[in-house]
Amino acid sequence: MSGLRGRRAVALVARREITQRVREKSFLVSMGVTVAIVVLVAVVPALAGFGGTTTYELAVSDAASVPVGAAAARGAGAFDAKLHVRRLAPAKARAALDGGHVDAVLSTRGLASKEQPDKALVGMVQAASREIRQGQALQRAGLGDAEVQRALNPPPVRVTTAKPTDPERDRKGTFAFVAVLALYTQLLTFGYLLASGVVEEKASRVVEVLLATIQPRDLLAGKIVGLGVLGLAQMVVLAGAGLGAAAVAGALSIDGDVVAGAALAVAWFVLGYAFYAGLFACAGALVPRQEELQASMTPLTMIILISFFVSFAVLDQPDGTVAHISSFIPFSAPITMPPRVALGQASAFEIVAAIVITTGSAAALIPVAGRIYSGAVLRTGSSVKVRDAWRASRVRA
Amino acid sequence: MLEVIDLSRRYGDTIALDGLSFTVEPGQLFGFVGPNGAGKTTTMRIILGVLEPDGGEVRWRGRPVDLATRARFGYMPEERGLYPKMRVRDQLAYFASLHGLPRAAAAAATDTWLERLGIADRARDRVESLSLGNQQRVQLGAALVHGPELLVLDEPFSGLDPVGVDVLSGVLRGLADEGVPVVFSSHQLELVERLCESVAIVNDGRLVASGRVAALREGGATATTVRVAVSGAGEEWLAGVAGAEVVDRGPAGVLVALRDGAGPDALLDAARRAGSVTHFALERPTLSELFRKAVAA
Repeated sequence: MSGLRGRRAVALVARREITQRVREKSFLVSMGVTVAIVVLVAVVPALAGFGGTTTYELAVSDAASVPVGAAAARGAGAFDAKLHVRRLAPAKARAALDGGHVDAVLSTRGLASKEQPDKALVGMVQAASREIRQGQALQRAGLGDAEVQRALNPPPVRVTTAKPTDPERDRKGTFAFVAVLALYTQLLTFGYLLASGVVEEKASRVVEVLLATIQPRDLLAGKIVGLGVLGLAQMVVLAGAGLGAAAVAGALSIDGDVVAGAALAVAWFVLGYAFYAGLFACAGALVPRQEELQASMTPLTMIILISFFVSFAVLDQPDGTVAHISSFIPFSAPITMPPRVALGQASAFEIVAAIVITTGSAAALIPVAGRIYSGAVLRTGSSVKVRDAWRASRVRA
Repeated sequence: MLEVIDLSRRYGDTIALDGLSFTVEPGQLFGFVGPNGAGKTTTMRIILGVLEPDGGEVRWRGRPVDLATRARFGYMPEERGLYPKMRVRDQLAYFASLHGLPRAAAAAATDTWLERLGIADRARDRVESLSLGNQQRVQLGAALVHGPELLVLDEPFSGLDPVGVDVLSGVLRGLADEGVPVVFSSHQLELVERLCESVAIVNDGRLVASGRVAALREGGATATTVRVAVSGAGEEWLAGVAGAEVVDRGPAGVLVALRDGAGPDALLDAARRAGSVTHFALERPTLSELFRKAVAA
């Protein structure tokens, strides 16, 4: 009887959390802002030309420069760029340059552009011009076409590296950074929502009415589950929006690895939230008013912030000492582990171990948090010390 | 029947309850009175399971109270509590569900009580936008919406205007008539005296007196007291009545305590000899007097 009642109570509390939050304008606005930030972070590097391929528009305004333009377009790949070449009459070329339709105009007088042209573009044209002139010189010296081609296009140097770099490294780096950013903000946001929800019930005294009907652990569990479901839904939306936007913008090619990485980031939110939720609920239960919540949450927000900073070191060296250590600390693992996975730098053993450690810590922590919460949540009026809260709830925890 | 048996509870070094016991019969309006800090709120919180007692127990219909039983109680704490941003109707329906009502029944009960409490037109408003009086009604609704078997109200009359007092008195009287025992605490002793059949007076965590109000007033008299007014005469005639002593003077006449076996008949005879008797009535001590005497002792 009591078990069933408990589960029913948890479900009712969780449902209220979800429906009330979703109806709040402030919640929807903050969710919209978060999605927008993630989409921007995912898309902007590609649009701004970082990491990805850049496309240049080049106008050629006289016949003598046409071969140079063509050669430059052929060689663009070496500059991690694409080059579109158009033959335009000088006047039209001038107009296209002024209108911003082309990046530069090539003629026998040289390369004209509005502003300082990109080094890559100059380099491409330079190399093409050299190639053409050398070819002409070699032909004048009596070499045949085939010999000229051989001289100008030696077989490419074979490149071997002791430790091959992932060609997708930069893109995965962006993806990992977005994952870190999302986890950090989501853990802080939902930790805060939980704590302030606890304070709201305490400050408005409604908690006494609730606890006359249901047990404190059911109330706590319902609040944690309700907000957790919301947080999970938001993470899924963030992941979907971020990946979708990155795919559309061409910043990331969506393959199985990326989807698995995103799913794992979402799963890490669940683990991190499970670990931190009880602590945030206690931070709320210990204070009488919203004004004092910030202070009581400070240790938690600091730990999450430090984990966030540590994750930069991890992004930089996903196989470094810091990365390995922080993966096994339940406070930091939820933020530092996902980028390692996304960068493909965590072994299966480490992933499993980190999950087990974080899950185990959360399971050990939740009853402790439940007892502190039960002992503190009815003591209105002034702040409660953790030790007093622990002692106060002898039976009902 | 609600039995509160030998409850004790400490807060650190402070003893809040020290072996408190009393009984509430079915259909009774039961007043719970005592000075501030006497242990009333602690007792009510224990009845509702919000607090655990250090010793003693609470029984309802002969059985120890458990979580499932408590779901059928209604409670209004001294410090009123509602979700400020939740809408009135959602809020009451939520409380009804928490008490175990299925969704449809919770909605129906909510509408019934919104109607009965006169706040049906505010059903879609947020609680924080309501006047204090209307918030108080919602609070009462939260205690009543699931059709409780027992109602426990901590200071339900505080902050109400006279009309509000009458409305609430009517609601509580109606519930008691339906057989629901209503336990409430109050500092308004005239009100308790008028409304309640039984009371418990507590002081320092202990029961000082409890039982039917009429019996307490009867038993609380240490001597027969009579209020008498004689027109055209002072108090000199009283000197001729053996054992009579003036204990109070008021516009309705002097209050005379009769001791040493003196009876009201002799007093009346003496009064008629002195002049024309305009008022002559036996007086029982009021609840306030019993209360003051009990708390002072």
